[in-house]
Amino acid sequence: MSSIEQEIRDTRASLCLDCGKCTVVCPVAQFDSSFNPRLIVQRRLGPDGSAGDDDSVWSCVSCYMCTERCNYHVRFPEFIQAMRSEALENGAELQCAHGGTMQALMHMMADGNVQQDRLGWLPQDVEVASGCGTVFFVGCAPYFDVVFSDLGVNTLEGVKGALRLLNRAGIPFDLLANERCCGRDLLLQGDREGFAALARANMEEFSRQGVKRVITGCPEGCHTMRVDYPRVLGAVGVEVLHVTEVIAPLVESGELRLGGMEKKVTYHDPCTLGRCLRVFDQPRQVLEGIAGVEVVEMEQSREKALCCGSSPWAFCGVVNRQIQEQRLAQAGATGAEVLVTACPKCQIHLKCAQRSGDGEGTGMEIQDLASLAAGSLD
Amino acid sequence: MNGRMGQVIVFACNWDGLSCVEAAAVAGLSYPASVKVVRVSCLSRLDQGLILKAFELGADGVMLVGCEAGECHFDTDPELVDREYEKVRQVLRLLGLGADRLALVRLPRGHGEEFATRVTEFAIEVERMQPALVRGQ
Repeated sequence: MSSIEQEIRDTRASLCLDCGKCTVVCPVAQFDSSFNPRLIVQRRLGPDGSAGDDDSVWSCVSCYMCTERCNYHVRFPEFIQAMRSEALENGAELQCAHGGTMQALMHMMADGNVQQDRLGWLPQDVEVASGCGTVFFVGCAPYFDVVFSDLGVNTLEGVKGALRLLNRAGIPFDLLANERCCGRDLLLQGDREGFAALARANMEEFSRQGVKRVITGCPEGCHTMRVDYPRVLGAVGVEVLHVTEVIAPLVESGELRLGGMEKKVTYHDPCTLGRCLRVFDQPRQVLEGIAGVEVVEMEQSREKALCCGSSPWAFCGVVNRQIQEQRLAQAGATGAEVLVTACPKCQIHLKCAQRSGDGEGTGMEIQDLASLAAGSLD
Repeated sequence: MNGRMGQVIVFACNWDGLSCVEAAAVAGLSYPASVKVVRVSCLSRLDQGLILKAFELGADGVMLVGCEAGECHFDTDPELVDREYEKVRQVLRLLGLGADRLALVRLPRGHGEEFATRVTEFAIEVERMQPALVRGQ
């Protein structure tokens, strides 16, 4: 049995009962009737199933809504990853979004010769504890703010907010001058080799710097380093936490007192932080810790939250935009002033949709949770 | 792109940019063999992804050669190119490769000598830098 066949088997796809619940909850299927998770499984595993010729595998946004609903816990997004890997091996061409910018960046960062100069944005008021064993993983935010500058994204504000919250909480952290992209998007699009190169580069950097604990602001990095690195590289010996997992208990216990601001906000659960990592309560606890902030929920939230509509910087089209517009409409319908999210990629995708849309929610402010919470500190 | 230093990709627009490259050829002017010219319909065809792709594939320097201000045949070039050019320079800075690996040159139609001079100077400058990436070589 080939490794791909084994991988497909590991996703439990062969247990699919053909019930179709995945398709009912799938946001892509809602707008594209030709996309049907159940039938993709059936086509691949059926008697005539052939590898690498099913174009619909590229439409999945890896939101894990299907896995949430599946009674047999078929890990469909991982099945899709394996299918994409197989397709790329068979010569399929990836349709990159944004002119392939992020793919080029990820591949360049995997290069052993790269010595990045990526900390120029660090504010003077942030205290960094060199060599303390805990690292804040900045992720791709410095690149995002350049590459998507015309969308008005400010993902570094979220990073700065997270650092200020950690400073205030008295949690020491170091920053790495040469951390790489975590590689999640390469993994999601089926580029196993590119992903493994980034994973190894990061782990070597952690090992050189004696890193024992990693705190991330980006859910993608958190999931990748916590779940995917050990799967691909074996035991990595590093504890990985999302910043809300670190801050929320301190806010709850009263050890960290946030300030106040009068704002009505709604929280968008990033798929990777919510459904994948099961971090639903902590972001809300942080928001509720800000005096005067009223949190209102969208029609779909927590386990049922709608995706921001895009996945690994590839195959972004009209269906993705429809999902984004629906999410913005849900946010707008809450009457909140601010749409808060805890993922830089969600921010980018939703701001992109705001730029071209004119429906409900397109005029809403979108802000990172850590940036909002840090803004309340006096 | 096999093993030597200082590979330079020139993206020349089909109009005034390419006319300079052709004028240089007609006049028998020489420039370093490390320079490879890629014709594009307009510099606005280029976006940050395409320019970065050249670096990903092993270019050590990229030069964009296009029409002077007000001369673009599509009236779209200046704003788009300047924006993408600035973005890529910032990305190259973040990657630690140095912003000067990307140059933007606007030339009047048919100025072969100026093209040959500018591209030679750029190729020499790129040659002095370390190779951009090991992987692409």
